[in-house]
Parts: sequence; C-alpha cells; structure tokens
Amino acid sequence: MAAIEQIGRGSSASAGKAKPASEFWTVTRLRIAGAIALLAVWEIAGWSGLFFRGVLPSTVFIAQAMFQLLTSAEFYWHLAVTSFEVLVSFLIGCSLGTVVGLVLGSRKYTGDVFEPFIHYLAPTPKIVFLPILLVLFGVGVWSKVALGAISAFFPMALGVAAGVRQVSPVLLRVGKTFNLTTMQTVRMIYLPALVPPLATGLRIGLGISIVGCLLSEYKLAKAGLGFLAGQYYEAFSVANMLAVLVIIFILASLGNTLIEKYVRLPGPGDVQAHR
Amino acid sequence: MTDVTSIATDTKTPALRIRDVAKTFSTPHGDVVALKPVSIDIKQGEFIAIIGPSGCGKSTLMNAVGGLLEDYEGTVEVDGKVVRGCHQEIGMVFQEESTFPWRTALDNVAFPLEAAGVGKEERHAKAMELLNLVGLDGFENRFPAELSGGMRQRIAIARTLAFKPRILLMDEPFAALDEQTRLLLGDKVLQIQQELNQTTMLITHNIAEAVQLADRVLIMTFRPGTIKRVVDIDLPRPRSSKMMGGERFGHFVATIWEDLREEASKGLLELEQVRST
Repeated sequence: MAAIEQIGRGSSASAGKAKPASEFWTVTRLRIAGAIALLAVWEIAGWSGLFFRGVLPSTVFIAQAMFQLLTSAEFYWHLAVTSFEVLVSFLIGCSLGTVVGLVLGSRKYTGDVFEPFIHYLAPTPKIVFLPILLVLFGVGVWSKVALGAISAFFPMALGVAAGVRQVSPVLLRVGKTFNLTTMQTVRMIYLPALVPPLATGLRIGLGISIVGCLLSEYKLAKAGLGFLAGQYYEAFSVANMLAVLVIIFILASLGNTLIEKYVRLPGPGDVQAHR
Repeated sequence: MTDVTSIATDTKTPALRIRDVAKTFSTPHGDVVALKPVSIDIKQGEFIAIIGPSGCGKSTLMNAVGGLLEDYEGTVEVDGKVVRGCHQEIGMVFQEESTFPWRTALDNVAFPLEAAGVGKEERHAKAMELLNLVGLDGFENRFPAELSGGMRQRIAIARTLAFKPRILLMDEPFAALDEQTRLLLGDKVLQIQQELNQTTMLITHNIAEAVQLADRVLIMTFRPGTIKRVVDIDLPRPRSSKMMGGERFGHFVATIWEDLREEASKGLLELEQVRST
C-alpha cells in the first residue's frame, strides 16, 4: 500500500520531467511481484485439482520441459527455422510498409485512393491468405515468410503514413527559410520526426510477423517452433507446448526491448511524446 | 555593415523596400483578395510593427517578404536588389512551436549552420555565442521538452540569428506565451535588435506590444488587407516594458485602438454572418 502511494506521488510530482530513479525501482519491484503472483496463482490452480493435471501442468513440469527442450539439438533446428522466417518476413514487411507509408502520407491523392483498402485489410486475419501462399511458395519456409511479411506490412504502412502527415508544418517552413535541399529536408527533418511512429510500427510489426509465422507453421509445415508446438498439442503434451510458448514469449519480449532501446530519438523519454 | 549611429536617411536606399506587394488566392468559390497592393520602406535598424485584425493578410505579407510565398504581385527589395524566395539576409521567427524536439538547445541553434556545411566545432562555438545572446547559457544541452515555452521561443530566435540576417521578420512570436513572459521576451528582443542594429518587421495583434517595441506601427484594414494608417511611436529609446504605465504610451495605445476597432469590428461582423448562414 505504501509503495502504491509512493508511486502516485512520484508520478504526479514528476509530470513532464524524467522519471526519478526511485520511481523506476518501485515500478520494477512491483512488476516482479506481479509476475511472481501470477505464477503462484497458476501453481495453486494446478495443484487444486480443479483442472486436469494435463491441461494446467505445474510450473515445475513446464520448467523441466523447457530444460529438456533447451538441451536438445532438434529444438535449435526448429528455433533456427522460425528465427529465419521471422527476421526475413519482418525485414521485408517493414521495409515495404515504410515505403508505402511514405508514399501514402506524402501524396494526398494516392493516400485518399489507396489508404482505405489498407485500413480495411489491416484487421483481417492474414492466415486466410495461407492457402494461396502455400500454392505460390510451397510448404517450406517461404510461405511462412510471405505470411509474416504481409502481417507486418499493414501496421507499418499505416503508422508511417500517419507519421508523415503529423510532421509539424512549421518545422518544414523553418527548413525552407534556411534553403534546405530536398535531401537535407528528408535527412534533417522528416527522418528524425518519423522515428517515434517507425518505432511503434516496428514493434507491432515484429509481434504480428511472429504470430503470422507461427500460425502458418502450426497449420502446415515441416519445421519451426509453431510446428513443434502443434505436434506437442496433438500429442496432448501440454507442458512441452507451454514450454515452447514461454520461450517464444521471452524471445519476442527481447526483440521488443531491443527496438524500444535502439529505435528512439535522443533526449529524455518525454521527447518522444513532445507535441 | 552600417554602424549603429548612422541610420540611413530617406534619400539612401532603404534596407527593405516592399513595392506594391499584393496577393489574390483563387479558391473553388472564386478569387479572394488577401492583400491589396502594399508598399513600405524600412530603414536600416528600424523596427516596424504591423497590426491588424485576423484575416487582414498580415501573414500573407510576411510570407511574401520572407520568401515562403513566391507567387505574389509586386516586388521585395533588400538593399535595392529584388529578391524572391527565401534569402539569407532575411530571418523568420514563427508563432508556432518551431524547435526540433530531438535536438538539444545547442544543436537547434546550430541547425542552419549544419545545413550550410559548417564544421561541428565552429558551428557549436557560434551557437554557444547566440545562446549567450538570448540569455540561455547553461541550457545548451537541454532538450526543448525540458524548457519553458519562452525559452523555446528564444532558441528559435537564436537559430534565426545564426547567419546574422540584416532583416528579421517575426510573425506573432509571443502569441503562444503568457503575458509576463511576453513582456520580458519583448525587452530581450529589443535589446538584441539594438545590439545587432537589425531591421525588424513584427506582426502582431497586441497593441501594447507594438507600441513597446516599434518605431512605426502600421495599421492594416480588414480583408482585403492594405495599410490604413501609419503611427510614428516617438517614445525615447532604449525602451522597456517599464514604460507601459506612461501617459504617452497610453495615448499611442488609444490612438491605435481607435483605428483598429473599426477594422476588427468588420472582421467580427463578417465572421458572425458566416456563422449564421
């Protein structure tokens, strides 16, 4: 309780300024406490007998399964396949998304004509394209890459297009008064101004390309973590399946953290939200 | 460089000459005359303020002089040479927040120097000098988000001064600031303007601000805008916001308001008519 009050005070006093270190540690401690509480609830539910032991295995079993996975050579083959698919699809989807977003954002007519299509296609589950992609690219990695890329493309394109439109016109006027060349305007004004929407697009794009790759592996594949999880599911080996998912979760979080850490503007955290 | 004491006489070429500058915008509903021909001669080191109701075309005039608007009638001359488009001798300060949020105060001021290819050490030294000039020494490594609105506007002013432009155009530079900051920043601008002997054109809708700062106040009519009257403010220099209580100060404010009232009423009336239809 005392800790919660402290956070309340801390955040109101520091509004508009960088967070003090003490608040950071309080938040971190509470997050860890939350994670432990979640595990405890899981564990208690598992042992309570309310569920079948098989459906809700103890965290101990999941940890054991993880250990087994991490020490088997076969797991690393699946991990390598999925990592390759995710990385390549993420790169393709985000690059295409950025280019299309730049065009849609900077050309009014093109944006008016094509953006609604992208808007309405964006929330469609991309897995519906899998049959077509399987025909086009086969059951191997490339159909997964294609699905992941299509998934990552949409949030990226929409985010960048919105970002281009939000570049403050007065900053562009400032550039004009100093006779900046087009290249200088892009490099010194547009690109830095687009870093926050780019970072958001990359984070959503990464998450969604992981989902795309795993889902399509799960449906039809010869290798990959999604394929592996699917096999464990079919065999009703829930602890193993969950172990795979936990590892995927950890890797995805890591990717997210890397983007958050490196794709940002200089300055205090609040700079990102300024204006 | 003209020295401070010898402000050019009328016979000499004015530092800034605006000749019959006019602008008509074509819209789907027909042509709109934003600005009827305006002519102004501004002497080296002179500070003029342009005041008028909203929609009198004062920003159009400023954009034409500053070069952001190139498609206008008439001519703009700097030292007798016709210019069109943005020019290094003309600096502009805007009303809106115009600092780059991802740059420190120092790198904001150094921005135009960087674009012009000035080396890092040299541009930082120069930017430091300008930050001192606007009274922001010690804040060079801060980001705009960490500074107040008044400080950010001073960064924008310092940035405009990077090439020491002979002419400074300011489009309601204090409009987004609170009254006290506005008065103090006005004093600062006056001090800098005197120090650099800059020819300055200020656009404002604040009468007291115009009287506090300017040698001449040009009152504009409501749309289509043109110059209605010129008021010479012969208050002694150096000026400061402390003079605002004075009798002559009040006299000027009252004179200007008398003229402006009529135009502002016209604007308001038109606005209400538009709303009611």
